[in-house]
Amino acid sequence: MTIKQVPDWFTKRQAAAAKAAASLPMPTFERFDFHRWALDTVAEVPADTTAVPTDLGDQNVVTFGDQTVHVQLSAAMQAQGVIVEDLQTALTAHSDLVEKYLMTTAVKYDEDRLTAFNLAHLNHGLLIYVPANVQVDETLQVLMVQNSLTTTNYFGHVLVIADRSSSVKILQQLETRGDQANHFHLITEVLALENSHIEFTGLDLLHQNTTAYLNRRGYLADDAKIDWALGVFNNGQTIADFDSDLRGKGSDSEVNVVALSGGKQRQCIDTRVTNFAPHSTGNIAQRGVILGSSELVFNGIGQIIKGAHGARANQENRVLMLSDKAHGDANPILLIDENDVLAGHAASVGRVDEHQMYYLMSRGISKPVAQRLVIRGFLGDVLVKLPSEQLRDRMIAVIEGKLKNELAN
Amino acid sequence: MSFLEVKDLHVRINDPENEDTREILKGVNLTIKTGETHAIMGPNGTGKSTLSETIMGNPNYEITQGDILIDGQSLVKLPVDERARAGLFLAMQYPVEIKGITNLEFMRAAINARRDDDDQMSIREFLAELDRNLAVLNMSESMTRRYLNEGFSGGEKKRNEILQLMMIKPKFAILDEIDSGLDIDALQVVAKGVNAMASPDFGTLMITHYQRLLNYIKPDFVHVMMDGRIVKTGDAQLAVKLEAEGYAGLRDELGIKAKLVDDDVTEADADDD
Repeated sequence: MTIKQVPDWFTKRQAAAAKAAASLPMPTFERFDFHRWALDTVAEVPADTTAVPTDLGDQNVVTFGDQTVHVQLSAAMQAQGVIVEDLQTALTAHSDLVEKYLMTTAVKYDEDRLTAFNLAHLNHGLLIYVPANVQVDETLQVLMVQNSLTTTNYFGHVLVIADRSSSVKILQQLETRGDQANHFHLITEVLALENSHIEFTGLDLLHQNTTAYLNRRGYLADDAKIDWALGVFNNGQTIADFDSDLRGKGSDSEVNVVALSGGKQRQCIDTRVTNFAPHSTGNIAQRGVILGSSELVFNGIGQIIKGAHGARANQENRVLMLSDKAHGDANPILLIDENDVLAGHAASVGRVDEHQMYYLMSRGISKPVAQRLVIRGFLGDVLVKLPSEQLRDRMIAVIEGKLKNELAN
Repeated sequence: MSFLEVKDLHVRINDPENEDTREILKGVNLTIKTGETHAIMGPNGTGKSTLSETIMGNPNYEITQGDILIDGQSLVKLPVDERARAGLFLAMQYPVEIKGITNLEFMRAAINARRDDDDQMSIREFLAELDRNLAVLNMSESMTRRYLNEGFSGGEKKRNEILQLMMIKPKFAILDEIDSGLDIDALQVVAKGVNAMASPDFGTLMITHYQRLLNYIKPDFVHVMMDGRIVKTGDAQLAVKLEAEGYAGLRDELGIKAKLVDDDVTEADADDD
């Protein structure tokens, strides 16, 4: 289903994006080459006759390919006026809201060829809106399943808006159904308006034949806060751009990323926090584990713009390599244009600590189990920062599952 | 009854950083039966820790000659984890810290590594056992929920080694300077834990500088090591004698030419040896 019956402004914006896409350059990811993935192409696809699987999940929102399968909010969420709509519906029911924020504020459509491409070819989207002063207690769970039962194009967009002084927790889980080789483009704009608080968790579990472009971008107004917990556990090629723009004074973004690469996979994760405003705080903590002959690159980008007095920016990027054939990089990139700021960084690319392995094995623990424990320990720093124990256990289960497969080989 | 045998053991240490290769053990012979407690004493730098690490299988030590066996089965070709499962336990001098893994899950993993997949120890059984052992060692339950040795004081680390020993219940435990850095109260607690293990199915090899430990854990045999060999074996009285007379006296009595690290020698002199 492509988006039809759209308001005028949308047609114009899409046309402008299509025009821009032709001339804009691809985004750059330092020390990572992905041009052969041809993410700026649209595949020829047969007429989609696949039936939507009926066993996808019972999350609040479930999408499959370019279709929104269901939206089921709890009674409490409905009573509080939380809006979750398929973009097609939102363009009619909440056109003003979408017009105001869709690729205008957090991500602009003309940043690079892939942002323009997303809007130009947009075939699915979601709007999530939390009204001012509303505190949503339950986690809003969103499952997005890539349709790889057949050849498809997916250009998706999620627009999250937390209005003034609201708070919400969102879990966005990405999966693939089927094993056709496909591209998956997803831009998630997360707008935290004045004094709002968003806990955003991403759990990326795409199939090895899904090549992903993931862009999650936070926009933070005065005193807003976003806690990101992002688990990148895809099995396929991935470029991911996780950024936060601290536009409002006193805003705060905490970005925790855990990633695993295995097999012959190549993944690059750019995590940027830009302090535009005074007294804003951005902390990045990333941990990556590389197995097999895979590659994982972390670029941590900390930027403090002139005028952001009293800003704080910290980042720690660490990569653990488990095989000689693995390739890893952890690059801190600091761009600081103000003096009275606190900024720091740490980065490392290392191998499993032999002393730790010896100690664990001296207690009778086999090598694969000891490796798993050391990896768990390595990721532990970041895992303890996850907002809930439930989520932590979930991530640990995913990590254990992936490690079991990889270390058995 | 089980036997741990060390036969004519020669060990070399390879230090790739300094391109240094030295022979540390020069023919050690030792037999320990379950039910027995042995102590190895000796001055610094005579190979006591090398012996314990080599028995356990530390990859930094290379066996050039000799054998290590449990009940006639040679261990020298086995990796560390298999030696542990064969019944060995080494309480380490410097236990490593591992962030992100709790003491609790580590110990469960160690116990379950010895059991079949369909015979894993239940959490209830594990916690009951743990509570008993924590009580013996005056340790609080909260210690087990902390990360493995992370931020533990020297004394807490030693206690934690003994806690693992009590949970794992090996056939043979080697206690490498379990007394170093402990005040007398902590030493008594650690000794209480080791003594609680006493059984006809458990043998101990203690490595120490100090006779003090042997007041709390009574050895059946005391061995003195110098210059990479066991040079004298006796009963508990030997330790008392050593404490009174020092190692130098024994060295001279036996006519051994080794330098003692505690002798007032410069490194240059030692190298000339």
